[in-house]
Amino acid sequence: MLHVVERKWLYFLISGLLIVPGVVFLMLGGLKPGIEFKGGTLLDVTFPESRPTVSEVTGVMASLGRGEAVVQAAEGGRIEIRTFEMSPDDVTRATQALREKFGSGTKVDSSVVSPSFSGELIQNAVKSIAFASVLIVLLIAWAFRNFGWAAFRYGIAAIIALLHDAAVVLGLFAILGYFFNVEIDSLFVTAVLTIIGFSVHDTIVVFDRIRENLRLNPGEALNPVINFSIMQTMTRSVITSLTVVFTLLALFLFGGFSMRNFALALLAGIVSGTYSSIFNASQIVSLWQELEDRVRHRATATA
Amino acid sequence: MGRLGPWLIAIIAVLAIFVDIPKHQLSFPFNCPGVCFNLGDIKVNQEIKTHLGLDLQGGTQLILRMQTEKLPPGVTTPQSALQTQAIKVIDRRINGLGVSEPVIQGLGEDKILVQLPGVADLQQANDVVTRQAFLEIKVPDKDHPGQYKSLEPPLTGANLKPTFVTFQNGTKPVVNFEFGSPDDQRWIQLSKDYYQQPVQILLDGKEISAPTINAIFTSGSGIIEGNFTTQSAKQLSLLLNSGALPVPLEVIQSSRVEPTLGQESVRRSLVAGAIGLLLVAFFMIAYYRLPGVIAVIALLYYTALTYAIFRLVPVTLTLAGVAGFILSIGMAVDANVLTFERLKEELRAGKSLRAAVEAGRVRAFPSILYSNLATILTAGILFWFGTGTVKGFALTLAIGVAVSFFTAVIVTQMLLRGAIEITSLRRRRLYGVEERAAEGREGRAPAPVVS
Repeated sequence: MLHVVERKWLYFLISGLLIVPGVVFLMLGGLKPGIEFKGGTLLDVTFPESRPTVSEVTGVMASLGRGEAVVQAAEGGRIEIRTFEMSPDDVTRATQALREKFGSGTKVDSSVVSPSFSGELIQNAVKSIAFASVLIVLLIAWAFRNFGWAAFRYGIAAIIALLHDAAVVLGLFAILGYFFNVEIDSLFVTAVLTIIGFSVHDTIVVFDRIRENLRLNPGEALNPVINFSIMQTMTRSVITSLTVVFTLLALFLFGGFSMRNFALALLAGIVSGTYSSIFNASQIVSLWQELEDRVRHRATATA
Repeated sequence: MGRLGPWLIAIIAVLAIFVDIPKHQLSFPFNCPGVCFNLGDIKVNQEIKTHLGLDLQGGTQLILRMQTEKLPPGVTTPQSALQTQAIKVIDRRINGLGVSEPVIQGLGEDKILVQLPGVADLQQANDVVTRQAFLEIKVPDKDHPGQYKSLEPPLTGANLKPTFVTFQNGTKPVVNFEFGSPDDQRWIQLSKDYYQQPVQILLDGKEISAPTINAIFTSGSGIIEGNFTTQSAKQLSLLLNSGALPVPLEVIQSSRVEPTLGQESVRRSLVAGAIGLLLVAFFMIAYYRLPGVIAVIALLYYTALTYAIFRLVPVTLTLAGVAGFILSIGMAVDANVLTFERLKEELRAGKSLRAAVEAGRVRAFPSILYSNLATILTAGILFWFGTGTVKGFALTLAIGVAVSFFTAVIVTQMLLRGAIEITSLRRRRLYGVEERAAEGREGRAPAPVVS
């Protein structure tokens, strides 16, 4: 049997190694907000024939007085154009100009967000994450209510595991943003919130087993019970994650372009969530107990 | 549950499949696009179809903000009333365009969401939705020659009868209007007061024309000439007929998706979903054997039922919504995995099949309940705070999790209990554990192995 509780420091170290690089790039400003969060225009252009060069497209935009446009080649022979906020008339004019130059089959998807609205979207995202976290602590505390105050210990351990998973995903996208200019949008926020839900889902299953085994084996020390509970739920955690990973991989490989980053964020989060529920969450509860025991021991020793 | 349970579950399955099938292929009752029946005076004729979001079927979306700061001082209409009024006006205008299934709804206190499926002309959408269409007639100002002034009180388009377009000399489009009472009397009076003088016709504060009055009017009618094309004349007529917006609107978010690109996304997502489902089915059967087969049946049941609910509610499916749906398949599998892992454990602990199935159900239940509650909570928060895409994702995820709870807890259990009653399906190897050497040793709870 694996000693997943005894070796907790090893697992904490692995988590640290996963999170630290991401945090570094987060601080370097790697997380790039998309136009939804900073305002502006995104034109997503698909061409009927082969893709023109970036400078050709930049030329068309410059002729419209949009010299500031950032033009980038994207997957699937598309080109993405980012500019400041455009009026619907401007968008129509740009579409017509692109069609004249590159053929009438040129398709332009447009998305314009005014900066005043993007602030509101950011607020909503932050609010929903904060609100979800609070509700989840309460849910876990309630689910483990017959532990008395120790219930909050489980709740907080679950939250730390959840933050771990959020940090992994945010870090990954900070790195992707730093090197590949990958932007985050409201779908990304959705992915993070879904990961939070999944992470807690996984952790609850393990905690529920600990609760049951503690009840079935009164008087048993906490660590062996935790270790045994993790072993019992390990297969389930891995298999469930695998099935979700299968569906997400399919989405990542075969879904539309706009789904790629969403699927990737979820994939990273689910894998991290499985890891943290097996190797972190319960270990935090165990560590808490050990620290408490040590404090109590010292107190009785000095008395 | 008792004996009725299996029947009920079977009936739900048949209904779900009936709802799922596109009605142009299987029409029952005949020539009905969905549910049609007459019960005395009650006539139901409800079309059932999959509602696709703008990102999947193409179209234009605008989010408008009411510029209340631009209202003239003294307007005291509350914001909520302005919003309701503006929505009504936009609704009338869009109906006049003949867009099918538009969405026009309030967003927060000061915003309006407009979705126009199939409309790819962003500029036209913008014109129709944001032009205030405030018509006013001004008269020459005696104190300032060459300028015009408002009447007291202003003569506006608030009281217009329906306008229409005719062609002058057979070619030049003009918009015909007629004032309703009492403005028609003021219009006649105006023609007397300003005979042989020009009057100014303004729309949204801009002059469209300034015709000279050549006759004393006998009715409240008149025409607006301008450099109209047939289309722009018709659009102006539509705007005037729909009434003026009570407040200027500005576009704060707009997006347009070309219809064919949306279809490509649908195709790709469907392929991805099908591949994902196949992989999961293959894996479950390989790993869990007979229970795996049961899980796959429950999964198909789950897919059919969820899709039926999407069509019935109806839930508008967006790309994110499809992702939520695919993701909830994972949750549906999880509940089965939890149950089967318990079942295996109980069997290994020496329980009989029947006792193990029962114990597996009882002991897996709290985990399934709390973990699903956590996901539903998250989905609820996403729905509450989210806009557009996020809302769609949250709704499909929540429905998916709720249905998966039903299928995993009730349908899977029923199938399992049914399977163990069939003698040829009672071999323990089918459940992924070794055949036991001797019978007996019933009911020992698994004890932790402490090392």
